[in-house]
Amino acid sequence: MAAVLEPYIYEGGIHKHSLILELLEDLGGYLVQKTPASTEVTLVMLIPKKDVPLVEELCNKLLGKLTSAPLTGTEIAVVSPTLASHHLPHSACDVAEFLRRGGANTNMIGLARGMGRRVALSADYERRLINEHDVAVFSFGTFKDCIINKKPKLFEGIDIPIIVTGGPDLKTEDVPGCDIYVGGIGRVAHRMRKGPELDAMDVLNEKVGEIINLKRERISKDPLVVLPARLMKEVQEQVPDIHDVLTPAPITLQLDGMRVKLPFEEYHEAIGNIEFDEGFKLSDIADIMPSKMKNYVLIKIKRRSEVGSII
Amino acid sequence: MEPLEIFIVETTEPSEAKAYESIMKDIISELAFVRTIGRIKVRIRPEDSLFMMAIVLRSGLPPIKAKEISSTELDRPGSKVVITVTDEKTIPQFLEKLWTQFGRANVIQPQRNLIEVISDDLEATEDSIGDIVVDDPEKSLRERLADMAIRATPEGFRIRYHSLDDGKFIFVASEDTMQQEWIDEARVMLEDLTGDDVNGSSA
Repeated sequence: MAAVLEPYIYEGGIHKHSLILELLEDLGGYLVQKTPASTEVTLVMLIPKKDVPLVEELCNKLLGKLTSAPLTGTEIAVVSPTLASHHLPHSACDVAEFLRRGGANTNMIGLARGMGRRVALSADYERRLINEHDVAVFSFGTFKDCIINKKPKLFEGIDIPIIVTGGPDLKTEDVPGCDIYVGGIGRVAHRMRKGPELDAMDVLNEKVGEIINLKRERISKDPLVVLPARLMKEVQEQVPDIHDVLTPAPITLQLDGMRVKLPFEEYHEAIGNIEFDEGFKLSDIADIMPSKMKNYVLIKIKRRSEVGSII
Repeated sequence: MEPLEIFIVETTEPSEAKAYESIMKDIISELAFVRTIGRIKVRIRPEDSLFMMAIVLRSGLPPIKAKEISSTELDRPGSKVVITVTDEKTIPQFLEKLWTQFGRANVIQPQRNLIEVISDDLEATEDSIGDIVVDDPEKSLRERLADMAIRATPEGFRIRYHSLDDGKFIFVASEDTMQQEWIDEARVMLEDLTGDDVNGSSA
C-alpha cells in the first residue's frame, strides 16, 4: 500500500536546498516542480504524510517557509473570453497567479471569438484543449445579464468541472452549466490588491480545492494503476531528453495523468515503452495521446478496474 | 468647471454601476484624462448590448506657441538663429516643425536645449519662429479620447457612433445595428450634463 502523500510548497534561499531534496528522496516523496529565481527557490513537493514534521524541521533550519499547497498535481485552464485588453491581463492573470500559489499548474486560454454577447462562441479545438485539463476556470465580467444569459454557451462541450468568476454576487444555480460560481472577481483595469478582491481570490482557491478534492475522491474509489508522481519519476529516469526541455514544468502533473512536453511523433514510443519494476509497460496501463497543446504527449493513466491490479 | 465634477455611471442593475465606475476611473487615470474631463456620464444596458457615454471637456487648452517655451537670439557672424528651449519635453515636436519649415539640413541641435536654424534672412526667420505652433493639445486630446472610448466599451461592441463638437463628446457602441434613438438618447444625456452650466450649479 502506497504511503499517503501531502502536497507542500517550500519557498526559501537556494543555499543548501539540495538537503531538502535528499531528505525527500530518502522519505519516498516526490519533487513535482523546482523553480529557481536568482537566490530563491520554490519547490513543489509531495511528502509522505507521517514525515511532514521532519521536512518542516529542516525547512525551519534553512529559514525557509513550508506551506500546504492543496492544488499540487493539478493542471487548471484559466479561460478568458478573448485576449483583448478588456479581459486580460488583470483579473484573469491574477486568478491564474493565485491558483499557482495553491500549487496548481495553470494555462491561460484566450478564446478566438468569445467576446460580446451575441457572437460569443468557442471552437471545437478550444473545447478539446480545455478538456485536457483537470478543471476550467472561466473569468467573466461585470454584468449579471451576460453571465447568466449569454456566456454559458461557452461551456458547451466542456466535460471537466467548470468554475466561473465574475463581478456580481450570484448563486451557483443561477449560472446554467457551471459547477461553482465565485463573485467579486469581475473585469478590472488594475492589479487586484484591495482587501475584498484578495478575499474573493481566497474564496476561489478554496472552491477550486473543493472541486479537486471531489475529483480525487472519485478517483480513489477506482484508483489509478500508478500514481502520477511515480510515473513522473520514471519518465525523468527513462526518457532523459526531458531534462533538455526548457519550458516551465516539462512534465505537468494532472489528477489522472500528465502532460509531457516533448513532441508526440518522436517520443510516444519511448514513453510507451517505459518499464516498471513490477513488470508493466506504460502503454499497457495508460493511454498515450497527442495533446492539443503544441502536439505534446498527453498521458491518461488507466484505472484498476480496467487493468486488474495497481502497482 | 472642476475636473470630474460630475461622474455618473448608470446600469440596469444599480449594483453593477460601482464596478464599472472603477473600470472608468482606471482608464481615465491611465490615459491621463483626469484634468481634461469636466463631466462624464456613462449609461450601460447589457440586455440591449448598449453602451453610451457623454463627456464635457474642460476648456482652456490653447495651442502652445514657440515663443512661450523658448527664446531666440541672432548669431550674425555665423548667420543663424539660436533658439534656447526652456520646456524640454516639447523639443521633439518643436524640431519636427522646424524641419518641415526650414529643411532638415538647416536645423542643428548642438545641445539638449539649444537649436540653431541657418538662414539667409535672419530677421524674418527670427520673427516667424515665435509664432510656430509647437503642440496642439486639442488635437492629441481628440486622438486619446477615441482610445479611451474604445477601452471603456465592453468588448465586442463593434458598432460605434461618436461625435465631438466644441468640447462635447458623445459615444454610442453596440453589437447590433446602430439605432437613431440611442444617438438621440446620448444627446439628451449630454444636454443634461451641460444644462447645469446654465443654472450655474453643479452636482
